Amino acid sequence: MRVSLFSNKGLASKLDFASARVHNDSKLNAPPHHWVANQDFSQEGPFLPDQEAQFEIDRSGPAPILRVTGDWTIHTIGSIDAELRPIRDLETDRPAIVDVSGLMDLDTAGAYVIEKALYSSVEQPAQMIGKHPVAGRMLAEVRKFTAGCDALPEPVPLWRQLLERMGRAMVQIYDEMIDTVGFFGETVVACGKAIANPSRVRWLPTFAVAESAGLNAVPIVMTLSFFIGAVIAFLGKTILQDFGASVFTIELVGFAVLREFGVLITAIILAGRSDSSFTAQIGSMKMTQEIDAMRILGMSPMEMLVVPRVIALLVMFPILTFLAMIAGIAGGAIVTMLTLDISPTLFFNRLNDNVGVDQFWAGMGKAPVFAFIIAIIGCRQGLNVESDVISLGQRTTASVVQALFMVIVVEAIFALIYMELGI
Amino acid sequence: MNPADALTPILDIPDEQVAIRLRGIANRFGDVVIHEHLDLDVLRGETIGIVGGSGTGKSVLMRAIIGLRPPSEGKVMVLGHDVWSNDPAERKALDARWGVMFQDGALFSNLTVRENVLVPLTEHTNLPPKLALEIADLKILMAGLPPSSADKLPAELSGGMRKRAALARAIALDPDILFLDEPTAGLDPITAGKFDALVNELKETLGLTVFLITHDLDTLRDACDRVAALAEGKVIAIGPLDHLREHATGWLSEYFGGPRGRAALG
Repeated sequence: MRVSLFSNKGLASKLDFASARVHNDSKLNAPPHHWVANQDFSQEGPFLPDQEAQFEIDRSGPAPILRVTGDWTIHTIGSIDAELRPIRDLETDRPAIVDVSGLMDLDTAGAYVIEKALYSSVEQPAQMIGKHPVAGRMLAEVRKFTAGCDALPEPVPLWRQLLERMGRAMVQIYDEMIDTVGFFGETVVACGKAIANPSRVRWLPTFAVAESAGLNAVPIVMTLSFFIGAVIAFLGKTILQDFGASVFTIELVGFAVLREFGVLITAIILAGRSDSSFTAQIGSMKMTQEIDAMRILGMSPMEMLVVPRVIALLVMFPILTFLAMIAGIAGGAIVTMLTLDISPTLFFNRLNDNVGVDQFWAGMGKAPVFAFIIAIIGCRQGLNVESDVISLGQRTTASVVQALFMVIVVEAIFALIYMELGI
Repeated sequence: MNPADALTPILDIPDEQVAIRLRGIANRFGDVVIHEHLDLDVLRGETIGIVGGSGTGKSVLMRAIIGLRPPSEGKVMVLGHDVWSNDPAERKALDARWGVMFQDGALFSNLTVRENVLVPLTEHTNLPPKLALEIADLKILMAGLPPSSADKLPAELSGGMRKRAALARAIALDPDILFLDEPTAGLDPITAGKFDALVNELKETLGLTVFLITHDLDTLRDACDRVAALAEGKVIAIGPLDHLREHATGWLSEYFGGPRGRAALG
C-alpha cells in the first residue's frame, strides 16, 4: 500500500476506513517533474515514484536519528540500498530513533530496509518520531521477521558443486542399471504369465499401441529407409567406380540395408517416437495417481500398461523392419538403375545370388530384441516419473537417450556374434 | 463507506473508494450462459467473499477481472483502470498492483520457493540482487513459512505449505488487491483456520483489498467483511454475512440452512 500524506484526502488523522487505502492515482499520469539526474530510470518499474527515497543520519543530538524522506516502496529502495547497507554493519552508534515526519509512501519492503538499518529488535523496538498513518504498524510487523532474512547460506564453491554432481550422477547410473535389470526380470515374468494365460492380455490397448506406435510409423520409417538406401548406392557407386567395380554397388546396398540399416533405422525411429510417448503417457498417469488407482483396484500396472506395449512392439517391429528393408532396397535399386544403367533383372539376380536370404534373417533376427529393449525402457521410465513436471521431462529424455544407447550397444554385440558365427 | 452498510451490488460512491467495479458483465461458453448483466462493486480495503454453487462461474469471474479471459460483454474497472481496454498503458498501470493465488498454487515447479517469490521482484523492480533475496525471504516469513522451506521445490512441500508459498509470491510486490481462489480448499480445519488468520493479518498490515472465492463457511465468518452470492448469472445477494443469513432465500437459504451451514455458523 502506498498511502500518501499529500494526497487530496487530507492528513492521517482524517483518514477513515475506506479512504485510508486510497492511492494517489494522479501520480500515475503526472509529468516526470521530479526526475533527478543521478537516478537510473532505464529499468524503472511501472510507476513513476513521486519522490526519491532519501535518508540522513542526524548525529547532533545525544542519540543518532535516522531521518527518512520521500517514498520508501519496493520501486524506490533499490537505489539507496548500497548507501544504507554499511549502516547495518555498524557495531555501535547505529541509530535507534527514526524520524518519519518526511516519509511519504511506505510498503513492507521499504519498512524492511528502514528496520534493518535501525538498532532495534522485537523486544526493544526503535523509537519513532513524527506522524505517519502506517509506518508504526508496518515497522512493527516487519520487525518480527527481519532477523531471519539475511541468513542466506554461503554459496558452495564451484569445484565442490562439480564434484558433488559427478558423484551423484555416478550413483544414479549404478542405481539405473540395477533398476533396469530388475524391471527386465519383472517384465519377463509378466509376459510369461500373459503367454500362459492369454485371456488376461488386454487386447484393446495392445491394438491401440500397435496402431499408434507401429502403423502410424510406417510412412516415416519407409521414407527414411528409402533415402538411406539411395545414399548407400550413391556412396558405393562413387567409391567403387575408381576400382572399376561399380557393379558391386548392388551387393553393398543389399548387405547394408538387409543386415544393418533396415532394422537400425526402425529401432532409432521407434526409440525416439514411441519411447517418448510411452514415458509421457505412463508418466502423466503416474502424476495423476491413475496408477495408484489401478493398484488399489487390484489391476497390475505391468499387466495393464507394460505387457500390451511389449506385445504390440514385438509384433509391429519386425513388420516395420520388413517394410524398411523393402524401401531401402528400392531406394538403392532406383539409384543404381539410373546412374549405372543396370536393368532391374540384373539388380535382383545379383541380389539373390550374392547377398542371399541369410542376410535378411540376420537383420530380422535383431528385430524382436530391439523391440523388447525399446518397450521396456519407455515403460520403466514412465513408471519412475514422480509427481512433478521436471521429473516428467527428465524421464522422457532419459528414456529416449537410454533406448538409443542400448540399441547401438546391442547392434555392436550382434555384429560380434555374427562375425564369430561367420554369417 | 463502511462495508456493513453496503448492501447492494452497485454502490453510489466515488471511484477512488472502489477497488473493483464490474458493470454489465456477461460470460458465455457457446450457448451456455454463465453470467448475464452482472454488476458488482468492491470497496477498497475490504475482504469480499464470493460464494456460489459449482458452475456459477466464480473462477470465470475472477479470470475476467484479472485479465486472463475477456468477458463476453461488460466493463471491468480495477483501481480506476479498464482491464480490457485496448490502451496498453491502461493495462500496464495495473501490472504489479494485484497478486493472485490460484486454486492449486500455480507455483513454478522447477523453481524453489525463494526463486518463485523472486520472479515478480526481479520482473517488476530494479532491486539489487542481494536486497531482492532479503525481501523474498521477508515475504516467505510473512506468509508463515519456516525459513528452511525457502530452498525447497514446490513438490517437496505439503499442501498447506504450498498455499503459503503461493501467498508469499502473491504479496511479493505489496499489491493493492489480493485475489484468492479457494485458499482453504483441501486443507485440514486447523491449517485452514491459521490460513484465515494469516490473510486477516496480512490484510491489516498491507492494507489489502481481498477478493476471496470460497466454499468454506468458516472462512466467510472469520475473514470476510462482505459476502457476495452468485446465482442465476448475477449477484443475488451481497452484504455482511449476518445480513445475508437473515435475508437468505432460495439457494442461499439452502447453503446457510444445511447441516454444514448450521454447524459452522451456529
